[in-house]
Amino acid sequence: MPSDESVLRVRDVRKSYRGNPVLRGVDLDLPPGRVAGIVGENGAGKTTLLRVLAGDLRPDGGSVRHGGRIGHCPQETVLHDAFTVDQHLRFFQVAYGLESLRRAEELMEALRFSGSRRARPATLSGGTRQKLNLVLALMHDPDLLLLDEPYQGFDWETYVRFWDLAEELRGRGRSVLVVSHLAYDAARLDTLHRLEGGVLRAADRTGAA
Amino acid sequence: MKGHWTCYATAVRMTFVEHLRNRLALVIIVLFIPVWMILIYALSLEIPLPFFVRAADRTVTMPAGVLNQLGGALQILALITGFMMFVTTMNSAPFDRRLVRSGFPQPCLIAAKLTALVVVALVVALYATGLICLTHPTAQPLLLSAALAGGALIYGGIGVALAAVLTSDLAGLVLVTVICSIDLALQSPLATPAATGVLVRYLPDYGPMQAAVAAVAMDTVPWSAVGPAVCWALATVALGISAFAGRTRVQGPVGGPVTATHP
Repeated sequence: MPSDESVLRVRDVRKSYRGNPVLRGVDLDLPPGRVAGIVGENGAGKTTLLRVLAGDLRPDGGSVRHGGRIGHCPQETVLHDAFTVDQHLRFFQVAYGLESLRRAEELMEALRFSGSRRARPATLSGGTRQKLNLVLALMHDPDLLLLDEPYQGFDWETYVRFWDLAEELRGRGRSVLVVSHLAYDAARLDTLHRLEGGVLRAADRTGAA
Repeated sequence: MKGHWTCYATAVRMTFVEHLRNRLALVIIVLFIPVWMILIYALSLEIPLPFFVRAADRTVTMPAGVLNQLGGALQILALITGFMMFVTTMNSAPFDRRLVRSGFPQPCLIAAKLTALVVVALVVALYATGLICLTHPTAQPLLLSAALAGGALIYGGIGVALAAVLTSDLAGLVLVTVICSIDLALQSPLATPAATGVLVRYLPDYGPMQAAVAAVAMDTVPWSAVGPAVCWALATVALGISAFAGRTRVQGPVGGPVTATHP
């Protein structure tokens, strides 16, 4: 862990595409046990920022420090249509070096899709694919979970279960960073930031996007 | 070591599941290879054709049907392995990248892809060799299998490399078909009067074609054809692996603590 106990510490992160600056110096600190949100208009650079934070994209400058294991749930469901749900779990069990799939099974139970383990993604609904996408990001019980528009395709009950899960993670000292273009969940967050003009600013949690 | 073996075994299983889900390729292997090879043999002109085995510095005369069948076998095997490797590599790229970011060792994925390529090349080569031996006597069936497998390996590597730069199935199929058609048409004495020219030595399937003809019509191994074939196979497979590694490269795995500082 970094000395300040932050699970994520971001300093002056910059990123441009073909000379067009998207991130102009992003700073962010996220302590353990916090649920934070980042909102911004379409094209503001939210997904770029999350990819930089996840280590998926190299920034032009600045620093990103993680204080533990991280999980990243991308906006697009990154699954493989040739594999069953069970096979997905098995491959990521090996990737994360997990002894068992106990945590994955708990998550599937919490999200109510334990019965689909022999199904392939192509036969699942968009919401169920997104549940699997989320389980793959969470099954190693990361200290920090990075979520990009995580509840697309969720029905209301799943949406509520998702926030119950976020509460459970926060209660166990895990941190969650949610990126969204809407701020209607602001009341569920500990802190809210707005990405505007390539920098992060504190935002009012009672206001809409 | 045990961890790496587990990763490799898992990746191999995953890669074969992908290939076995490619039903079109399996149907082509089981049905189209024999139909194509028997038809091209049966419907060719019944004339003798001279073929210059440059690697042995000798001209052999063979029935046109046999020569066309060998060229046809190399072509269909090149198309199948090239397209199978292209499709699986392209379709699984985002998933492979996510796996690597989650801590799955990239070398295990690469080794699994290579294993699948070699197994696919050997299986289709042995199958095609059996079919060729059924239609006419072959002096050196093992050499014929090696020649066909070499051709399949070369185009499998091309398929993996193309998957790094193309984004549609159709584009991959067209490119593999065009490259392979030009390659083999230029070596056919029936299609190209200049098939004995020096330039054919630099074509990808030069080595496999020379070895395949020698396997049927001669009782010696044309060793000087082996070098170009091995070089082409190593070069295309290395290119494919480099392209795959570049495409699945990540800044750091998400499974473990990371400190990334950039000036």
